[in-house]
Amino acid sequence: MTHVMKGVRMLEVAQFTFVPAAGAVLTDWGADVIKVEHPVRGDAQRGIQMLQRLAVNPQRSSLMQHPNRGKRSVGIDISTPEGQELLYEIAKTCDIFLTNYLPQARQKLKIDLEHIREANPDIIYVRGSAFGEKGPDREKGGFDSTSYWARAGSATLVTPKELNGPLLQPGPAYGDTIGGMNIAGGIAAALFHRERTGEALEVDVSLLSTGIWATACSIDVAMEKPDEPDIFSASMPGSSNYGSNPFIGAFETSDGKHICLSVLSPGPYIEDVFSHLDIPEMAQDERFSTAEAIMSNTGAAYDQVRKAIAAKPFDYWTERLKTMRGQWAPYQTVHDIPKDEQVLANDFIFEVESADGGPPIRLVANPVQFNKKGATNTRAPEASEHTELFLMELGLEWDRIEDLKNKKAIA
Amino acid sequence: MKYKPGSRWKSVVCSAELVVVRPPKGDGELACGGAAVIEHDSADPAGGDVDPAFSEGVLIGKRYVDEGSGIEVLGAKPGEGSLSFDGRAMSLKDAKPLPASD
Repeated sequence: MTHVMKGVRMLEVAQFTFVPAAGAVLTDWGADVIKVEHPVRGDAQRGIQMLQRLAVNPQRSSLMQHPNRGKRSVGIDISTPEGQELLYEIAKTCDIFLTNYLPQARQKLKIDLEHIREANPDIIYVRGSAFGEKGPDREKGGFDSTSYWARAGSATLVTPKELNGPLLQPGPAYGDTIGGMNIAGGIAAALFHRERTGEALEVDVSLLSTGIWATACSIDVAMEKPDEPDIFSASMPGSSNYGSNPFIGAFETSDGKHICLSVLSPGPYIEDVFSHLDIPEMAQDERFSTAEAIMSNTGAAYDQVRKAIAAKPFDYWTERLKTMRGQWAPYQTVHDIPKDEQVLANDFIFEVESADGGPPIRLVANPVQFNKKGATNTRAPEASEHTELFLMELGLEWDRIEDLKNKKAIA
Repeated sequence: MKYKPGSRWKSVVCSAELVVVRPPKGDGELACGGAAVIEHDSADPAGGDVDPAFSEGVLIGKRYVDEGSGIEVLGAKPGEGSLSFDGRAMSLKDAKPLPASD
């Protein structure tokens, strides 16, 4: 991947996934990201020893690798005056300061806008929060399950009314990961602005703003139609829920898996779809042979499609539909995706060396490519791995480093 | 031997490579797998076996300390030998995060 951020340095004082993930994207793009961790406890993310019911191997923790690959970890206790002074010295060498600390903590630790800007007036100051920098909830923390998924409407949109409770977020760090990408985009734009005008901006992205950006189309429609409470109500899985288009839906295969059809304009695809579903004669049936006909006989056409797909297993359809022009996809699991030939052909997954000497760790790359090149990067650091080496690179004399160690300001 | 901060060393009995991130207070000998380490730029080591008493391994990116002398060493390449200073086994210094779950 072209290192578009080469020569850019970011100072990151952030924990968990949402905000650190922005740093990870920047390292994929070639930036030098200095991750400040507490010298004893490390990033709170390192404490996640159980992922739901799955024990995490700390030496190969995907939860650390995903949001922290490519960074250098420097252990500084920023609650000490010496640690704060050191942080400001590092900030002087940086283009960007990134944090997810809440307003009161930023004040207490003296890492708020005015403190960091005093050290470096040209630094871009970036906050990732749960609920935004303004309003009554600005002091409240949150995770993606609360701020992104529950409060921002995704959960109620995806949950059929017949269920007794809301569906949960799909897998760990779902909203965090998308939110981190949004922060990275904001940083790129702020760097561009500073390059053109010399002005260093503040950048804010929250899990709530990310969540309602994800549900924006639904919310925008709802604001136009305030008197229709049931718009976008989700249907129960397995129900034959069709609108005016029989080529849209989740269709069950003979072995209980599913194929997604989403041919929004059926007209040009009538022959294509029916022949791939092994019922070519349906394209000649006058109920289905034109766009107008098929869209006014949706129920009958939908039944034909459902029966056809139910007659054969999943693997048959994934081969058979490869040549279909109409839009479709298999419903894949997270175990299917690392083998998906399209994913691999596009270098959407790459490897980093593992710290435990075991096989390389495979990671999903950030979603942007420059000049068709996939990402290359290095593993996430161990806690405080680079403290002394980075400080020596910064020009600190050993006596000063020794003194900082004795004062427990660094690892 | 003078173990300056930032100086790089390698094991003679395994693949481990090390960076000194805090020098010892007095004199002493840093060893890996029971044998004294040599400067990173030295010619390839003569070899030999890892002493079973010092065979717990060095991990990349991890810190090892000797309380007595204060020396602190960072693993730069992993190896089978484990570290000692003046014959005292060095211990792993690891982050102690608060438990959490997702």
